[in-house]
Amino acid sequence: MTHNNDDVVRFGPRDRVEHLLVMVIFFLLALTGLPQKFHDSAISRNIVDVLGGIAQVRYLHRMTGVLFAGMTFLHLATVLGAVATGRSSLSMVPGIKDFRDAITTLRYYLRISDVRAQFDRFDYKEKFEYWGIVFGGLIMIGTGFALLYPIAVTRRLPGQIIPAAKVAHGSEGLMAFLVVILWHIYNVVFAPEIFPGSTTIFTGKISRERMRHEHPLEYARMFPEEANEILGQKDPSRE
Amino acid sequence: MTRILFFVFPPDLAAKSTTAAATRRHILVRVSAPHPTIIWDLLSRAGARRRLLALGLVAALVLLATSTSARGAASDEADACLQCHADEKATLALENGESAPLFMKRELLAASVHKNLRCTDCHAGFDRMPHPERHYKDLNHFRTSLAESCKTCHFENYTKTLDSVHYGLQARGDVFAPTCVKCHGSHDIAKPAEPRSRISQTCATCHRPISETYAKSVHGKALLADNNPDVPVCTDCHRSHNIADPKSRAWLMSTPALCGRCHADPKRMGKYGLSTNVLGTYLSDFHGTTASFGGKGKKTDNEPVVALCVDCHGIHDIAKVTGDSAPVFRANLVKTCRKCHPGASDNFPAAWLSHYEPSLQRAPLVFLVKLFYKLIIPFIVGGLILQILLHLWRTVVNR
Repeated sequence: MTHNNDDVVRFGPRDRVEHLLVMVIFFLLALTGLPQKFHDSAISRNIVDVLGGIAQVRYLHRMTGVLFAGMTFLHLATVLGAVATGRSSLSMVPGIKDFRDAITTLRYYLRISDVRAQFDRFDYKEKFEYWGIVFGGLIMIGTGFALLYPIAVTRRLPGQIIPAAKVAHGSEGLMAFLVVILWHIYNVVFAPEIFPGSTTIFTGKISRERMRHEHPLEYARMFPEEANEILGQKDPSRE
Repeated sequence: MTRILFFVFPPDLAAKSTTAAATRRHILVRVSAPHPTIIWDLLSRAGARRRLLALGLVAALVLLATSTSARGAASDEADACLQCHADEKATLALENGESAPLFMKRELLAASVHKNLRCTDCHAGFDRMPHPERHYKDLNHFRTSLAESCKTCHFENYTKTLDSVHYGLQARGDVFAPTCVKCHGSHDIAKPAEPRSRISQTCATCHRPISETYAKSVHGKALLADNNPDVPVCTDCHRSHNIADPKSRAWLMSTPALCGRCHADPKRMGKYGLSTNVLGTYLSDFHGTTASFGGKGKKTDNEPVVALCVDCHGIHDIAKVTGDSAPVFRANLVKTCRKCHPGASDNFPAAWLSHYEPSLQRAPLVFLVKLFYKLIIPFIVGGLILQILLHLWRTVVNR
């Protein structure tokens, strides 16, 4: 398929490790969390039994949750630190271009126009997922904390916080699960141009060709000699 | 006359086992009924009306004969037995020096549901004269020696008792453990649930303090004051024959379903304006979910598992939730929570929605959060699915 000397480095080791950890943690949290939300179903019973009972499942869920919280805070701290000291670009920050890109893409899908949006380092779908997991994660961490320490939380705050946190935790978790299962897995595994799956997040490498196709603006910065060719065309690389 | 002769003399004819007792009854019926050929003669000779009349007469005769013969047999046998057992001084010497009374009051039988049975239907083997020689260690041994005879007819209930906590005590040699007759009585045996309050009184023979607590509960008061048919008596929760160990984990974990049997039944609860939502709201909250997964801790432990219905509402002392003595009454709730959550503040009880579904009035925050996700989940997930489908469609079109 792709030759090594054709590949471009897209993700550094830090990104790759972080993704791998989040992936495992997300799977564990869903595995131990969803059966608690859907406690009526037979599958939930089986999962809980296999994992050694509800007390064990909750313990595992809480420990994994604490790990997730730690990772999230560490990630945010390093990103904010890097941004503050100017060592990081703001490539993940959504802007007006992302909304325009989304509309352009929808128009393209609906065949209203044949113009395809040209993305920079991260396209609007990637940004949506990233911020989804950051904000969703913060909601999960906050509500999870309330559910883990209900006595401490209700010392100052009204008791209704706890059932509200429970509803939010379960619903937000379900939504995150559905988004990942449907949207993320489609985009990185089942989308026809990607199938049978992109390995970029694990190896860090992306083929020059995919890079040119999926992130033309960043590619143009990387290879200025091809910039004119890429930025000039409207519907690039359709074989 | 023949009937009595059976019991007085013939050791060869009198049977050894209960099957023989059945055969004997059969013989007696045949002897007292008219011979079938007589019926045939009557039918063939007379006209239609006469025939009908004769038939009716014969039927009445047969009925009369069989019924009197059965009852007659029982009371005749009782007569024979009471020749000795009506004597108040009749006793049997036991191995430990005690003596067992052999005296039987005739009046006891008259009120019994078993008044049409023969003595030897239960006291099998005692139709021989003299009685077969038996040895009893003590009074308890003497009393329990007949406990097995109930199973001849009541086999299903007998086998159920083998799973009961009472039988467990008996098997371990507890002399106070109840056998069939301790609850049901022996010669004066009566319908156990007429009236229903009789059941509670029966259990109270041994379980006096609990019975007194029950009498003051919302269930007990309704039973004793109004003879309410819907409130549970002891056996409705604890069962009658296969009474489980109420401290066992399996039993504890089954209690929410047990309470739900009535409290989730709209027919029964409708009469009193009580919500049937109590079981559902319990199960969908923390405690109930834990309970529905079998509780915390090892399955073999007999330790407290999670808050079950009875942990907040009480067991035998269950009170009306609107009564100020109830542990779940608003003012008492925090104390009840602290039984398991020692540091709970006054805010804490509001974390539990008191079996209510969240509504704008009851729990606005919970209601709004729920509503928000009810709208946002289909919106986001639906939107993403739509994008996937459009993307696929455009890919196909491009080809």
